[in-house]
Amino acid sequence: MDIATYVNSMRDPAGLPFYPIVFQFLLVLTFALHITMVNLVVGSTFLSIWEIWKRNSFGLRLAKALGRVITVGLSVAIVLGVAPLLFVQVIYDPFWYTATSLSAFYALMFLVVITLAFYSAYGFYLGNRNADVASAKTGWALVAAGFLLFTALFIHMLSMEQLMPQHWKQWIVSPSGVVSFSGGEFHGIEFGRLLHFLIPSFAVTGVFLMLYSAYFKDREDYDPDYLDYVGKKGAWMAFWASAIAIGAGFWWLGLTPTGFHFARNPIFLAGAILGVVTTAYLGTSLHKPQERAIPSALLMFSSIFVMCCAREALRMKYMSKAGYSIYNYPVNTDWPSTLLFFATFAMGLFVLYFPALAAFEAGRTKSGQVATLDPSIGKKAVSAMIAWFVIVAGLGIIVSVKNGVLF
Amino acid sequence: MYPFWEVPIFTSGMVIALIATFHILPCHLATGAFWFTVFVERKAYKQNRPELLEFIKKYSLLILIFCFVIGSLSGVGIWYAATVASPRGISGLIHNYVWGWATEWVFFVIEIASIYVYYYTLGKIDSKSHLMLGWVYAWAAWISMIIITGILAFMLSSGKWVETGGFFDGFFNETYWPQLLTRTAFMFCIAGVYAAIVASTLANKKIRKELVRSAGLWGVAGMLAGVAFAGWYLYRLPAHAKGLWLDESLPYLGHLLNAAAVAYAVVLIWFVVCCLIKPRLVGPVSGILILVILFLGIGAGEGFREGVRRPYIIDQYMYGNQIVAKDIPAKHVKAEIPRFNKDGFLAHLYFRPNKIDPKNRTDLLRAGSVVVHHECGNCHALDRFGKIRPLPVLLANLSPESPGDIQDFLDSLGDYPFMPPFAGNELDKKAASEYLFSIVRR
Repeated sequence: MDIATYVNSMRDPAGLPFYPIVFQFLLVLTFALHITMVNLVVGSTFLSIWEIWKRNSFGLRLAKALGRVITVGLSVAIVLGVAPLLFVQVIYDPFWYTATSLSAFYALMFLVVITLAFYSAYGFYLGNRNADVASAKTGWALVAAGFLLFTALFIHMLSMEQLMPQHWKQWIVSPSGVVSFSGGEFHGIEFGRLLHFLIPSFAVTGVFLMLYSAYFKDREDYDPDYLDYVGKKGAWMAFWASAIAIGAGFWWLGLTPTGFHFARNPIFLAGAILGVVTTAYLGTSLHKPQERAIPSALLMFSSIFVMCCAREALRMKYMSKAGYSIYNYPVNTDWPSTLLFFATFAMGLFVLYFPALAAFEAGRTKSGQVATLDPSIGKKAVSAMIAWFVIVAGLGIIVSVKNGVLF
Repeated sequence: MYPFWEVPIFTSGMVIALIATFHILPCHLATGAFWFTVFVERKAYKQNRPELLEFIKKYSLLILIFCFVIGSLSGVGIWYAATVASPRGISGLIHNYVWGWATEWVFFVIEIASIYVYYYTLGKIDSKSHLMLGWVYAWAAWISMIIITGILAFMLSSGKWVETGGFFDGFFNETYWPQLLTRTAFMFCIAGVYAAIVASTLANKKIRKELVRSAGLWGVAGMLAGVAFAGWYLYRLPAHAKGLWLDESLPYLGHLLNAAAVAYAVVLIWFVVCCLIKPRLVGPVSGILILVILFLGIGAGEGFREGVRRPYIIDQYMYGNQIVAKDIPAKHVKAEIPRFNKDGFLAHLYFRPNKIDPKNRTDLLRAGSVVVHHECGNCHALDRFGKIRPLPVLLANLSPESPGDIQDFLDSLGDYPFMPPFAGNELDKKAASEYLFSIVRR
């Protein structure tokens, strides 16, 4: 059996419930959201350590604010990460399941390490809530940073192993015919690629600081000098990290197989051009971070999204080398469940407007005061979910009665 | 077949079971807790008692730190564990229920957004809006349970799906409603335990007593309703599952159910005696002890659910060893046993020795190891000191004199209601018998 026969025969026999390109789009979109949040967490962790080491009041205040960002951001990153984890299993199942089975030990260690990173982040946040410049500690943040780097390494390795199907067999089947079941394989580290995911952490965190500075500028109880410090630091970080990330991107490009001619790929070229434009724009924003915060954020996310598309195009190149394409995955269209998801997705955006608005208004209100929202917004959000429940439960009862499985 | 991952002594299946059981506590707390939270917060605003908000702050922080660290990670952990232990099993579920999981993910995002905003805006936005945030979280969390229960129930009873392949035909099956209601009732019970523990740490004695009693009432109501729904759930089990349990084909299932019943009885007594009659007896120590008992009870209950599913990982569709058991014409799926019996199981494997000489014993042992790991290793430990159905011990009880005796046993596997039939041709069977005989003698 050759590798092409293997990967194609390992597709799930039930096929896909909808067209593969839809899953692919959702995979890329949700991965872009996930990696942006991961970048924010990693960048904030390292920056908060640096700011405490500087031992000044602005640095401490920023580090405390970032302490909260790390814990909330890590939660959000994990939840956002569920979606690409789901969609990759749908269309790239032979690659995902083989790589994780080969490296089962590390796949599970990933969970242990990220849990430790999470609690270390909480240790940093809760431990420094009442600290002053002299007493602030970085120990837990250092531990969290170390664990976060390990999670990055593990997930990078699992991603890389998926791109190396031609090596899979030799990893676990010895020439004499002994098959290993240890799940302890660890292969494929490529630092150019890993750095291209890690360095943007500082760019994303920089843009976040610009947004932070712009958001709080109307709060009377926020020192304008502090916000100026944060905004300029953010713009500086965003610019330099973006520039270095472009360099890492070209290093990664140099590591791709020459036969792919990936430098000529239109999606890669679009990503590279957008990256350069974003960096140039950030370069002109160094002295006006508050005014340029929102366009910088939009450009930054667009760059990340297009680079995620380029990464997907690269993955398809690797997989086509193994004789695999998602576009001929058998489809057994299931319209009812497809409709369920997209209707719920639209409803979810509607519901999310309410907590987003509440957070925005509360953050904009001076300490000690209470923000007041239009009560109908919250009611509509709750009503939307109750309506979802009534419709789905009603459908469930009808289906159950029709199939004779209710009583 | 994907590469096999062997966990010595415990089996990879036990890794999933442990993570899944551990996940139940935070996830049921996450789904149930906010109904209690909004109940208390509403009371605080309605009766103008801001002192109750101290509890809200503490309780929601616990939910954040416990549920959204351990809960979300152990949830992802089940996927990872299932991926490495039973990749074709999880793939089968995902390819039928991807839109169900994606729908659940929308509610996860709503949950995480609303709980953080809820926690950080307490006292910073108007009370009506804050209460609404609590309702948003409570509904989103419970709806996530409504969705995942459909997929769990599908694994136990696949309903009309085997005929139609339809998403909702499999989702709303015969055990769905009783399982949903049982889980809903027990989520109030778990929320009650946590609420009582948090309330017992409050400084204000009057509030402490009042909230511990309220938590006790929620707990008792949840437990009584849960027991009633659990009865309905057991009644609705598929005939095959009931057979395994009631005919005592697998006596451990009865023991698990008894253990779960004892654990639930202890928790019920704790609610009545410690929360309702003598609230001062509730404290973090007794509360955590009750949590441990609850954890063991849940483990037993979930173990029962997994056990009565045997020999399938997905009812009627896929065996525990990840081999497709049945034709599903609506999905163009063919059962794999006939194909494996005709062409050979090894012939369909990619990760196998390149050369197998049937006359060479070493070759047969190596090939047999591959067959046995794939066909038996998901459920059986393959080492003598294994704790989960160790094959060397079980086979030694048959006192085999030669590999041939084991081969006869493999021929009869399909006669056991809880075992999948052996899949493979004569070479596969011969290789497996050689290997199994070697581990019995080892």
